[in-house]
Amino acid sequence: MVEFQRYKLKNGLTVLLHPDKTTPMAVVNTLYDVGARAENELKTGFAHLFEHLMFGGSVNISEFDKELQKAGGESNAFTSNDITNYYEIVPAQNIETALWLESDRMLSLAFTEKSLEVQRNVVIEEFKQRYLNQPYGDVWLELRPLAYEKHPYKWATIGKDISHIENATMIDVKAFFKKYYNPSNAILCISGNFDSAMIREQIETYFGGIPGGLKPTRINPQEPKQEEFKSKSIDRNVPADAFYYAFKMGPRKSSDYYSGDIMSDAIGKDNSSILNIRLKKELELVTEINAVITGSLDDGLFIISGKLAKAVSFEDLDKQLWLALNEIKQSGVEAEKLKGIKNKISTAKAFQEQGLLNRSINLSFFELLDDANGINEEPLIYQKIDASDLILFAIKTFTKTNCSLLKVCNNA
Amino acid sequence: MLDRNIAPATHKIQKIHFVKPQELWINESVKLLWMQDVPNETSRIDLYFDAGLRKDRNVIVSLCSSLLLSGTKQKNSTQIYDQIDQLGAYFDIGLSHEGILFSIFALKDNLIEAFCLIFDSIQGATFPDKEIAEKVTEKRERFKINSAKVGFTAQRKFQEKIFFNTPYDELTQISDFDTISKKEIVDFHDKWIKKGLYKIAVVGNIDSKELETIRSRCQSTCITSPITYFKDFCNSPGVFHVEKKSAVQSAIRVGKTMFNKTHDDFFDFSILNTILGDYFGSRLMKNIREDKGYTYGIGSALAETGGSGYFIIGTEVGTKHREPSLNEIKKEMELLNTLSIDQSELKLVKNYLLGQLLKAADGPYAMMDLFLSVDAYSLDMEFYNRYIERIHQIQSDEIKSISKKHLQWDSMSIVSAG
Repeated sequence: MVEFQRYKLKNGLTVLLHPDKTTPMAVVNTLYDVGARAENELKTGFAHLFEHLMFGGSVNISEFDKELQKAGGESNAFTSNDITNYYEIVPAQNIETALWLESDRMLSLAFTEKSLEVQRNVVIEEFKQRYLNQPYGDVWLELRPLAYEKHPYKWATIGKDISHIENATMIDVKAFFKKYYNPSNAILCISGNFDSAMIREQIETYFGGIPGGLKPTRINPQEPKQEEFKSKSIDRNVPADAFYYAFKMGPRKSSDYYSGDIMSDAIGKDNSSILNIRLKKELELVTEINAVITGSLDDGLFIISGKLAKAVSFEDLDKQLWLALNEIKQSGVEAEKLKGIKNKISTAKAFQEQGLLNRSINLSFFELLDDANGINEEPLIYQKIDASDLILFAIKTFTKTNCSLLKVCNNA
Repeated sequence: MLDRNIAPATHKIQKIHFVKPQELWINESVKLLWMQDVPNETSRIDLYFDAGLRKDRNVIVSLCSSLLLSGTKQKNSTQIYDQIDQLGAYFDIGLSHEGILFSIFALKDNLIEAFCLIFDSIQGATFPDKEIAEKVTEKRERFKINSAKVGFTAQRKFQEKIFFNTPYDELTQISDFDTISKKEIVDFHDKWIKKGLYKIAVVGNIDSKELETIRSRCQSTCITSPITYFKDFCNSPGVFHVEKKSAVQSAIRVGKTMFNKTHDDFFDFSILNTILGDYFGSRLMKNIREDKGYTYGIGSALAETGGSGYFIIGTEVGTKHREPSLNEIKKEMELLNTLSIDQSELKLVKNYLLGQLLKAADGPYAMMDLFLSVDAYSLDMEFYNRYIERIHQIQSDEIKSISKKHLQWDSMSIVSAG
């Protein structure tokens, strides 16, 4: 059980407190309800570029990291298609430094030209390192626009095109900050060794004075229901042919998420999974095969990916994969297997909750989903998923017209 | 009225309370470490085997380590994996030049059952031909993918130069995957897994009867005389470039032979390493990322081996930034050799290091890992108290002299690929 307190400041900032007297550390986690899905199609990659700029100095403090390091702390952040999340990990006695820093950059940034210019270059190098300079690196850049036609999930967090980053201007940056970086669009979670009464006072001192703004309303273009099978082949200089089957599934808050999560473990997580045994071990069609879900806040994807064994064609694989999926639609997942997966989920959960940072990020994320207490309720939801839920999920999800297939062909 | 221009007061970390695990000796060379005080249901067992890459051809060691759960006389691999799943357990296999680390993670009520299942499977592994063939294919494919990455290419070249002319400098070649015999794997297993267990570390609130099960199960597989490690490394200095025309970034590795925790200069060099490249505000990050924007990230580290260690700087930069980046790395080293670090930067690094150490000592798993990291060199937790003391005491001129002593550009192996 993760204990927490929750309240709202007058300016709309949601605060979560999670005291833990067993640790000498504290974590200040700030989640902004903005990700790549909030971007304009002509200016993609912005939420992520902005994350970089948040370390480039705030209105009263020129060097964010330096001040934190002086207090023995460290920080980092990540951006997804849905959210941007920042955290500071500090010795508990220096928690005030983190509050000071995080509140100042919520108040306003320094917006220096130098920071924008450098971070544009850094992000371009990040783009090259992650997406361009390794085999299969650009798969997500290709798969997203194939699977999504209207929804902003059709571009990756890094952006649709490098030129969008190159062309980002200071005016764009300021407008983005004004719209999304205000207290009513954020969730602040403080975890670790602190006195709750004292921390409430400090939070009021540092965050209470930040002017409130309106929580931005988001009207994402709805993705129309997919009616036909989509497929694309790309030629690349890669060592082996690779395939990516992307099936549409429900959003994070739907029961699809839990069925999909268990289903992905059942068919493609590790050596004992159904597709690994069937397609890799028995039929020797692939050298690797995996299944994952994106877990997106809007309609997400269930992805089966892998690499073909030598002299195996995409058609061979396709035939056997559909046979296997159709069997699952018929008979589901064996009871014994389902029990094993649930046991592993329980273990993984217990280990995740060991870490103070994990707890902070998860509390914030569940609060975004509606209620931080979701962190405590979720295990029961997983336990309740039964064989018939999985069959229903399979029937609904694993159909040809719900599928987008990307093939990466070795042209070397 | 709040003045946001003034930083809140910070409080220095003076002392950290380090807790040592219990030690039980299995024989004169092997001990079982136990951290019992865990405030939740989680648990972990680490099994250390003296079965590292240095013991045989890389491919044989690597295949053996990945096939430890490939089947026994009684069970095939799928049955083993299914049973592990039923117990909700996870495992992880780490392979280095010095050994294999097999870790088991489970809720404590399942730990002993998971351990017995996995331990017996490891010891009784029969290496079925089909499992070997499957793993060879998988590894060959993985190798091909890795070979297309500049980071992998640079790392290989670096390894060749850093472990120059020693048993550690073997590089796996794609053709190695065609010359594997089952006998080699079985012989390796007989020699180094069945008789090679040299340390066991348990974190978890189990009872002493359960601990005894672990001890007795392990006994017959333990080594009986102490392990010796290769000590005499000397990197081959110089500039080495591997051309890859299609690359949009170049990978850079710069480094030299250094030492491990047993060396007198270890503390000072670790502090120096932090200043140069081991945190977000380091000289290299500030210059090459935050000022010039040449890279997404750059870092340095002191990597340890059983008998020695090496220093390494690593980054990936836009291809046109390769030469300028190397020049800046050189410049940063020379700056540290010639100019004393100013007081505010030194104070910042000291506070940062103490904060990191406090974090590294948070919780039973972290505490066990801290202990393992000194126990590997026959040191104890007192090492960290001495480190804290040294962090408090070290002066600017001492940073300069340790830098002058170890960070000479001409002594480095300078490698790039791309």
